Amino acid sequence: MNLSESGEARIRGYLFMLETSLKTFLKRDVVADAVREVESHIRERVRETEPMPNERDALNRLLDALGPPHRLARAYSAELAVDAAVSSGRLGAMVRAIFVLASNTVEGFAVGVALLCGYLLSASCLLVALMKPIFPDNVGLRWVNGEFRGAGWEPFLEPGMVMTDGWWVMGICAVVGSILLWLTHRGARRYLRRVGERRLRRIDALPA
Amino acid sequence: MTPSTDAWTEQMRRGGLELAILLAVAPGTRYGLEIIRHLQELTDLVVTEGTIYPILGRLARDGWLEAEWQAGAAHPRKYYRLTARGRRRLDAMIGEWQTFSAKIDRLVRAAAKERV
Repeated sequence: MNLSESGEARIRGYLFMLETSLKTFLKRDVVADAVREVESHIRERVRETEPMPNERDALNRLLDALGPPHRLARAYSAELAVDAAVSSGRLGAMVRAIFVLASNTVEGFAVGVALLCGYLLSASCLLVALMKPIFPDNVGLRWVNGEFRGAGWEPFLEPGMVMTDGWWVMGICAVVGSILLWLTHRGARRYLRRVGERRLRRIDALPA
Repeated sequence: MTPSTDAWTEQMRRGGLELAILLAVAPGTRYGLEIIRHLQELTDLVVTEGTIYPILGRLARDGWLEAEWQAGAAHPRKYYRLTARGRRRLDAMIGEWQTFSAKIDRLVRAAAKERV
C-alpha cells in the first residue's frame, strides 16, 4: 500500500509521540534506535498491506496492533527504566524507574515511599527558605500570645501571632533542605544502581 | 474469563514471552517483525506487537541477544541473534520450563484422578 500525505503525517505523528515519551527517561541514542526500529516495523507492515479504499482505517488497524505510543513507551519504561536511570542520573528517568519498581515489588514500594517522603520534606524546607525574601514577615518561629507554636511559613497571620528569627529559619531551612535533597537523590541513585547490579549478578550466575 | 483468571493468564503470558522470543531467534538471525510473525503463527502470546521491541532491547542490553542494523531492500531492519550467553540462558530456561510444566501436569493428573 502506498501512503498518501495524510497517511505519512499520521505515521510521523505516531513516531513523534513515541519519541517525545521515550525522551523523558531514555538516552538520546537509545530513543533514536527504538524509534527507528518501530518505524521499520510500520513501513514493512504498510508495504505488505493490500491497497484499500479507506487508507485511514487500514493505518488505524496497523497502529492499533502495534499499540498506542504512550503504552509502547510504558513498555520500554518497564524494561529499560532502571538501566536508563542509573546511566543518565536524570531526575525524570529516576522517578520513572522508582515508579516502575514501586509498582512491581514490595521492596520497591517501601523505598519509593521513603524517597517520596525525603523529596517532599526537602522541597518543603526549600520552599520555606524561598518564601522569606518574598514574604519577610511570614517566615520564622511562630508565637501566639507569647507561646511557641512551631516554625516555618505562615501565609495568614492570625491576631496575636508573631513570627520571629525569620532569617535564621530561612538559613537553617535552606541548609537542611539542600542536604536532605542531596541525601535523598544520592540514596535513590544508589538504590537503583544496586537493583541494576543485582540483576546483572543474576545474569552472571547462570550456568556456564 | 474472570478478572483474576485474566490477570493470571496475563502474568503467564508475560513470563512465557521472554522464552518464546529467545526460542524464535534460536535457529538463526531474525528481525523484530519476523519474530512477531513467527510467534503469531505458532502461539497467541503477542497481544500487542509493540511490546516485543522493549523486551528485545532489554535482552540485547543484558547480552543475551546481539543486534545489528542491516540495509534491507526497502528500509533498514534490525536483526537479532543469540549470543553464547543467550544460548546458555535459553538452555537453562528450557530445562526449567520442562521441569515446571511436568510438575504441574502431575498435579493436574492427580487432581483429575482424585475427582473420579
